[in-house]
Amino acid sequence: MKGAQFLVKALEHEGVDVIFGYPGGAIMPVYDALIDSRIRHVLVRHEQAAALAADGYSRASGKVGVCMATSGPGATNLVTGIANAYMDSIPMVAITGQVPTNLMGTDAFQEVDIFGITLPVVKHSFIVNSSKDLARVVHEAFRIARSGRPGPVLIDLPKDIANTVSDFNIHHSNVNETAPAPRPEAVAQAIELLKASKRPVIYAGGGIGLAGALDEFRDFVAATRIPVVATLKGLGVIPAKHELFLGMMGMHGMKAANHAVQDSDLLICVGARFDDRATGRLNAFAPNAKVIHLDVDPAEVGKLRHVDAAVLGDLKQSLKALSLAVSIDDWRRDCITTKESTAWDYNAPGSEIYAPAFLRQLSERAGDNSIVACDVGQHQMWVAQHFRVNRPSQHLSSGGLGTMGYGLPAAIGAQFACPDATVINVSGDGSIMMNLQELATLRRYELPIKVVLIDNHALGMVRQWQELFHDRRYSEVDLSDNPDFTKVAESMGVPAFRVEHRSDVAAAIERLVTEPGPALAHVLIHQEANVWPIVGPGKSNSEMMDEVAS
Amino acid sequence: MSTFTLQIRVAQTEGSLERILSVTRRRRYELVQMSVNAADDGANFDVELTVRAERPAQSLVRQIEKLEDVTEVAAVDSTPELAGARVS
Repeated sequence: MKGAQFLVKALEHEGVDVIFGYPGGAIMPVYDALIDSRIRHVLVRHEQAAALAADGYSRASGKVGVCMATSGPGATNLVTGIANAYMDSIPMVAITGQVPTNLMGTDAFQEVDIFGITLPVVKHSFIVNSSKDLARVVHEAFRIARSGRPGPVLIDLPKDIANTVSDFNIHHSNVNETAPAPRPEAVAQAIELLKASKRPVIYAGGGIGLAGALDEFRDFVAATRIPVVATLKGLGVIPAKHELFLGMMGMHGMKAANHAVQDSDLLICVGARFDDRATGRLNAFAPNAKVIHLDVDPAEVGKLRHVDAAVLGDLKQSLKALSLAVSIDDWRRDCITTKESTAWDYNAPGSEIYAPAFLRQLSERAGDNSIVACDVGQHQMWVAQHFRVNRPSQHLSSGGLGTMGYGLPAAIGAQFACPDATVINVSGDGSIMMNLQELATLRRYELPIKVVLIDNHALGMVRQWQELFHDRRYSEVDLSDNPDFTKVAESMGVPAFRVEHRSDVAAAIERLVTEPGPALAHVLIHQEANVWPIVGPGKSNSEMMDEVAS
Repeated sequence: MSTFTLQIRVAQTEGSLERILSVTRRRRYELVQMSVNAADDGANFDVELTVRAERPAQSLVRQIEKLEDVTEVAAVDSTPELAGARVS
């Protein structure tokens, strides 16, 4: 059996059913072997989209996403997607072809040191220098990608190794992948803090979904009845309508969420990392709060904020150990009252389309069997604020890296992971151009993905910052010369229509959702529409600007 | 700012030393001195890494111990700044 044939067999053994990729010279032996495999290969139109689709597939399915590309430019095009997965701790295996070992280091055609290039953005990486290493490398790559704090792993496969004929055997190991149980002393310390607290808040992050600890987290909330705020990646850890859910925290967080955190005397950080978009000015973040930090990664404890009790290890066990009743009736009532009094008003003046209301309506119409994949910018924040997310795997957003162009490939990955879901890509007129070519992938595979392109003829978030923080000195944000997106979509076989007036919104959403195949709604909004509230650069989360104040 | 030394045992695998240096630089620790010796077992390197930083030693220890090829890492001393000269 050739190395390439064995690689495909080993991938099957690891449970891989879909690979997102793009062929080329050095990876050709693997593409040849794929013909005889039950693994489905999805041909995207740019390698970046392969990596981002694998990321979306992983987030939607909970499995390891797999992408593949050839050497040189194929490999370098994967890098943004690999970095995206790294920043958001997404389990992924990226396979790259490489020039034959005797040509490595000679500047051969399409040779690039992808191993070296990706070192800072992978959890681990391998060059398969010998056919005898192949079985172990594939097995290790999957184990490393999904264990502990997940992340991307690169396998760089030289062409001669892929063509080597040998007796390959599937590698088995007895490595225990289970995260360790929390230390009893740490749990006891945390319980003491919980019992002493009068104003606790749960600060929930993406680690909960990644750990598969949704049930335990919800049990923890039910037992303690402590108010919950979420990071961008933590959205959905409890249903959006839950009475104790105060909303997203941080730069574009809900007022109730940010106020609760700032006023708290105890923050229970669960699977989050005190990211600057969440904390605002760090030394003014939750200034009177002690911190309990539950995480699987010891490197996150105390990285940015002093921690009073670090409960490290398996989140499921940690959450179970801390599920106890606490007496905080007055505080809980205050939080809920603030949430109600600061609830969003969707009745904005004017006749133009109001993006928050559009997205709320879309969310309600699409229902719980929907998955929304965003790009990056204003529309991403509006989705986070107004789309009702009931589980983390329903909301795919590039949190750490902030990758424009993420949404459409991620939606493709999600649709392959969940064929029966209504998958929606919410994009902007800036972001959509970053991976526009993937509309052709929707048509090729007849993926019924609904693209909502919110168009303000500008790089909206940059324009908003230039308006608010750069004295309206607009620099390179005008996109009014964009092509006619409906014609572009139709030329790629995706039915498209334009939505220009508020009165057309309900019918447009209905048309979009009921379209049997892919569709694109080109939604025009005012160029100067901004995301509110916003915490300005260097400001504390107590200093939220809103529309009136601007 | 303080200067401290880490002792690291890492497998002799492709890129294992690069990963340590990459994490050190990326996490904003300034390299002062580094020595590498092949361990007696023939499978590992013993690395002694002296760095200078405003960030605590323990943060770098935790980042390095996450590397797959690293089997042991410990901060062995920590001294106030102005100790030692930068390697040219």
